[in-house]
Amino acid sequence: MKRALVSASALLLLALALAAWVESRRARPVALTPTLTGQPEYCLTCHDRASVPEISPSHPVKAFGCVVCHGGERLALDAALAHSTLRGGRNPSDLSVVEASCGGSACHSGAASDQRDHIQRVQTSVQATYAGAIAQIRYAFGAQPDLQARLGVVAIADPEITTGTGLPALDAFDPAQETSPAVQKFAQNCLNCHLSAEPRPGPQYTRFTGCAACHTPVAGTGVQLTGAGGQVNAPAQPIHRLTIAIPYSQCNACHNRGNYDLRNLQFNPRADEAGRSAERPYDRLHDYYQPIAQFTQCEYELDCVDCHTTGEAMGDGDIHSNKAEAQYIQCRTCHGTLAEPPLTRTIGDANDLALRLAFLNPVIDLQVGDAIVVTEKGEPIWNMRQRPDGAFELAGKVTGARYTVPLVANSQCKQKPDQQESRYCHECHAVQR
Amino acid sequence: MNAMPSNDRINRRDFLALATKGLLALGGLLAFGGVLRFLGYAPDPAPPAEFDLGPAANYPPGSRTVIPPARAVLLNTPGGFAALSLVCPHLGCEVRPDSDGFACPCHGSRFDGAGLLLRGPADRPLRTLRVEQNAQGNLILSLN
Repeated sequence: MKRALVSASALLLLALALAAWVESRRARPVALTPTLTGQPEYCLTCHDRASVPEISPSHPVKAFGCVVCHGGERLALDAALAHSTLRGGRNPSDLSVVEASCGGSACHSGAASDQRDHIQRVQTSVQATYAGAIAQIRYAFGAQPDLQARLGVVAIADPEITTGTGLPALDAFDPAQETSPAVQKFAQNCLNCHLSAEPRPGPQYTRFTGCAACHTPVAGTGVQLTGAGGQVNAPAQPIHRLTIAIPYSQCNACHNRGNYDLRNLQFNPRADEAGRSAERPYDRLHDYYQPIAQFTQCEYELDCVDCHTTGEAMGDGDIHSNKAEAQYIQCRTCHGTLAEPPLTRTIGDANDLALRLAFLNPVIDLQVGDAIVVTEKGEPIWNMRQRPDGAFELAGKVTGARYTVPLVANSQCKQKPDQQESRYCHECHAVQR
Repeated sequence: MNAMPSNDRINRRDFLALATKGLLALGGLLAFGGVLRFLGYAPDPAPPAEFDLGPAANYPPGSRTVIPPARAVLLNTPGGFAALSLVCPHLGCEVRPDSDGFACPCHGSRFDGAGLLLRGPADRPLRTLRVEQNAQGNLILSLN
């Protein structure tokens, strides 16, 4: 009896000592009450601000906190419980959860008239629907009678069509419903490059899904990140950052990585990937475009976002059958024609979209009264401004480099009026490498 | 020669009794410490809603004084003392005073020196806060 009592006492003491030890090792809770939500959250207990940098100047943690974007259990101090309700895992911008993470009328699902309908536009864009590729393959193998898109990687509807080629809705592409073996093989091998697809394995393909596929840069991809030397063999890793200064290397996670072989319906990586090494590092000239591509000097010295507009990349709000219906920038947009300089617009309002974008990426100090280049659809090329001397100056959105843009008018160019597409310019201006 | 048991040595029965008491005492102390810790828990205090800004004379006419803990700015205007919240009404970032008024570093909203909206994306002016002078002549800023 006495022995049992001693044992029980010893066990009690041990249990209490263990509880005290566990309690002493527990991190002291660190509370943050973001201004936006006014609700305390304890994420910083483990995720100290030194290890997780601010994601962008527009989303400071003091104002936003973590939970409003990432979800999770804000009061939990246990990692598993705290993370149990995260939206999209590490990526709250995945299109399946983006409305809850990034939406709201004051954020990224506002009014189209105010250019704040980012989520709606992205979800209907060709990059999200992959409608063009699906329609082309189904048409090529007899599964549909024409090239008009009927299916997307997810079902989507657009109640408000604003362009001549907009479609009201797409049904979801379901490979199990397809009878053509070729279309099934396409579904198996070729659905890696839309915004909801996990990337192919390999550092050169590394990216997140959703908004972060473009807006969250990847470090250590093996390619030369603009402005910072990329380590060729470093593990690719998206970093905690959101930016509109998107380097070409981010676009290259999907674009210029190779070609699809329509005979075998397989992806063939670009031929020059294998030869890269620390001794033969990447550079813009060789990395930007794959070997078969034709391009001009500005096309590899600038970044993709210097010319291609928000409407082209993120969509114009309509569902389109293919990329060609959405992508319209040509050389003449910036260089003009023999007869006309590029289109311009004078900023007359402090709330102009161009000023908003220049504020977010201040590579140019735009002011009310400045004349900027606009596209034929009226989208601002806000990083290209007409100087007082009449010349046009472009600021690289990623590099900040300044370029005086040569105009076609009054030049030696023999451009034909009906041949304005970039492929005609490539005939004379293509770079040899 | 047989060794005789010493009277000084503690016998087994006493040892067990002593050990039991000792272990129970230690356990009791630990448990008592835990109870004290539990009872002594004090939640983080609510952020203050009022700030004593000191004598009004400290703020000369025309002055514009940022009150960091209140995230507010005190203005000594010809019409008297006034205060504005520095929390941007768009998404809660802290606006910064500049030569033209106040600017939000997050999304570029701008407000004039009186807090009126000049440029979005905010859709309303900076919030006006109550500032009063108490019997001692100190200015009291209220966030509510």
